[in-house]
Amino acid sequence: MTTATDISGFDNLPEAIPAPSPARPRLLLIATALTSVAIAMGFAGLLGIYIETRAEVIQTGERWLPGSTVIPLTQPNMMAITLLLAGYVIAWAVSSIRNDDQGNTNVALGLTLMLGFAYLAQSAYLMTIMELPAAGDTLARPTLLYALVAAHMILVVAAMAFVAGTFFRTVGGNYSSRDVEGLYALAFFWGVTIVLYLAVWYAIYITK
Amino acid sequence: MALTETRPETDAPEAAVAEATPAPVLERLLSTGDHKVIGRLWIGFGALFLLAGLVVGAVGAFEQADLGSFDIVDDGIEFVQAQSAVRDLIVLGGLIPLAIGVATMIVPLQVGASSIAFARGAAGAFWTWLFCTGVMAASYLMNGGPGGGVGDAVQLWTLTQIAVIAALVWGLICVATTVMGARATGMRFEWIPASSWGFFVYAIGGILMLPLVAAQLMLGYLDVRFGYLPTQESRLTLLGALDTLTHAPVVYWLALPVLGVAVDAIVTHTGVTLRFPKVVLGAIGVFGVLSMAAEVLVWNGRGRPIAFDNGLLVVATLAAVLPILATLALAGEALKRGKPAMRTPLVAGLLSGLLLLAAAAVALLGLVHPIVSFIETAGDTSIDLPDGFALAGTTFASGILGLVVAASVCGAVAAVNQWGHKIWGRQVDGRLGILAALVAALGGVVWAASMVASGFAGQGRDLSALSEAVDGAEAYNAAAGAGMALLAVSGVLLLVSVLLPSIGLGSQAEPFRGLTLEWLAPSPAPLSNFDAAPVVTSPYPALDATDDGGAQ
Repeated sequence: MTTATDISGFDNLPEAIPAPSPARPRLLLIATALTSVAIAMGFAGLLGIYIETRAEVIQTGERWLPGSTVIPLTQPNMMAITLLLAGYVIAWAVSSIRNDDQGNTNVALGLTLMLGFAYLAQSAYLMTIMELPAAGDTLARPTLLYALVAAHMILVVAAMAFVAGTFFRTVGGNYSSRDVEGLYALAFFWGVTIVLYLAVWYAIYITK
Repeated sequence: MALTETRPETDAPEAAVAEATPAPVLERLLSTGDHKVIGRLWIGFGALFLLAGLVVGAVGAFEQADLGSFDIVDDGIEFVQAQSAVRDLIVLGGLIPLAIGVATMIVPLQVGASSIAFARGAAGAFWTWLFCTGVMAASYLMNGGPGGGVGDAVQLWTLTQIAVIAALVWGLICVATTVMGARATGMRFEWIPASSWGFFVYAIGGILMLPLVAAQLMLGYLDVRFGYLPTQESRLTLLGALDTLTHAPVVYWLALPVLGVAVDAIVTHTGVTLRFPKVVLGAIGVFGVLSMAAEVLVWNGRGRPIAFDNGLLVVATLAAVLPILATLALAGEALKRGKPAMRTPLVAGLLSGLLLLAAAAVALLGLVHPIVSFIETAGDTSIDLPDGFALAGTTFASGILGLVVAASVCGAVAAVNQWGHKIWGRQVDGRLGILAALVAALGGVVWAASMVASGFAGQGRDLSALSEAVDGAEAYNAAAGAGMALLAVSGVLLLVSVLLPSIGLGSQAEPFRGLTLEWLAPSPAPLSNFDAAPVVTSPYPALDATDDGGAQ
């Protein structure tokens, strides 16, 4: 019977411990950052055109949006809070995985998915109550507004897919305190999603 | 019912045979994660689309050689659609994919990576691009594209262009990520070989600029979808989305990697190291920054004309010449010190650099009018400037594009001949490459000279209204058509250069060796590129590995 002091079973250990394998390059984090930059540039383009077109229409003395259109602030503000909350929850997920607490990580990622879904539901509801016709014969282009809002909704769907992928990889044991890169990348991407929403929120919902 | 978990013995030999039989070629291509195969696919199909664009362009130019009527197309709008297709095929179908292809093939080898970052993703980017470029071309045949008469086809064109751009951006992200995160142990950022550095700067430029084009296209799609662009004439505004990418100095970005390829070719074939490698990398970086900054400066949103009198744009165009000059001068100094063997990569690389320099130098002519206007405004004086210098909106820009296309083709020829043996294990006859580069250079110069002269004559870019043609326009157009035809011939030669070693033709002996890391890999490089993970201690690892330890 092997006792606690019996180390004969470890005779095959090398005398010199080999050097640890080199740190894994942060490819996922780098690619996420570059992808985020590309997405941000696309949004910057859309926002630039939106702001410029809006200014030109207002200069002619016309209203930017048709008279019947109402843009309430309750939903956009709640959407901002929802996304910010999701950002905080992702920080919780990162903190949990750094402590090898997979249970809390899973709960946090699940909660993020739920908050993402809540954002999408609020966006869809807001679209229905705005009563902004997509087609029209005014100088204003509601398509600009819809392009920005829809593009951000697509971005949130992509971020949720990222969360789902990270969730499954965490459950599969890919991430732990030794490898947190995937969750850092996710947190970064979600942060970009929040920043872009705040830009859309100000340009569309606040300035109207 | 009884079930057995072991296969009947009779199946075993068949399974063994199945394992031994290689998968069909198509299956292997579709499932490959080998960056060398993916790069070859980008290059092959990129050259094919470039060829298609040049052929259609040449046909269109010959159509304009007789301005009495439209013979091949029905009317002016159809002619503009054809011109738009040419631009899409050359830029999105040819030049950018060619650069991504060479980068995908070479960058991992140069930086000591076992593969390109996200190899499956890189393959996905290629297949997405291929499919969507095909559909985009088909949408033109369905009367889509800018000025298209069928709304659904126009929408299809905008959507596929967005998808093409997304695929290109993802391909560039894979390249940039490889340079940033997958370098060999010890390889500092400033030790990155010039080609890989050029591709990195190029990738960052694409990541920053192409989404702006996609944003315009997205709005164009919605405008057509919801009836804001109901007529063919109104849909011509969609042409503006790609405008900025084909004007100086942004257009230089399309050929930016040729500077790195030229530098590496010089170092390889002279066998001497650069005296100021960091300055060379810095110059390439500055060149990229000027192109990107210019894109932001001239980017005006939906289809509005570019403001050529923008002071910052003038400065960017003026300054863009300097980094090209600096790069070529510093690399040329190595050329002077060494005893260069005038092999194909060196000749083609030098030609590509000189053509890019020529493009930047010729573009300076376009600055005369804005600068004189500025002086007149500031000094309240009148300067007698010939009308011909008002080049904005003329065919002048097309001439610059011709030189950039020729520079890119020469750069691709240089790259295929420089690293071909590492990829295929075979080297095609160098004379084929030299011929391709010379024909491309000649074609580019003829195209550029005719369109620049036409621009000075005051010929507008849009010749759909034949009544607006200037005197001599027919001759200029015929000459431009001949230039494009020559470039198309060089495209065929480039394709042959890629196809010959792919089918096992060419010399098996490695013709030369360079000083950077990729030359330490076996030739042809195996799936993981290197026999063992390389460790780098200098910018020229292959030189360190020689007997004299880098005494040069």
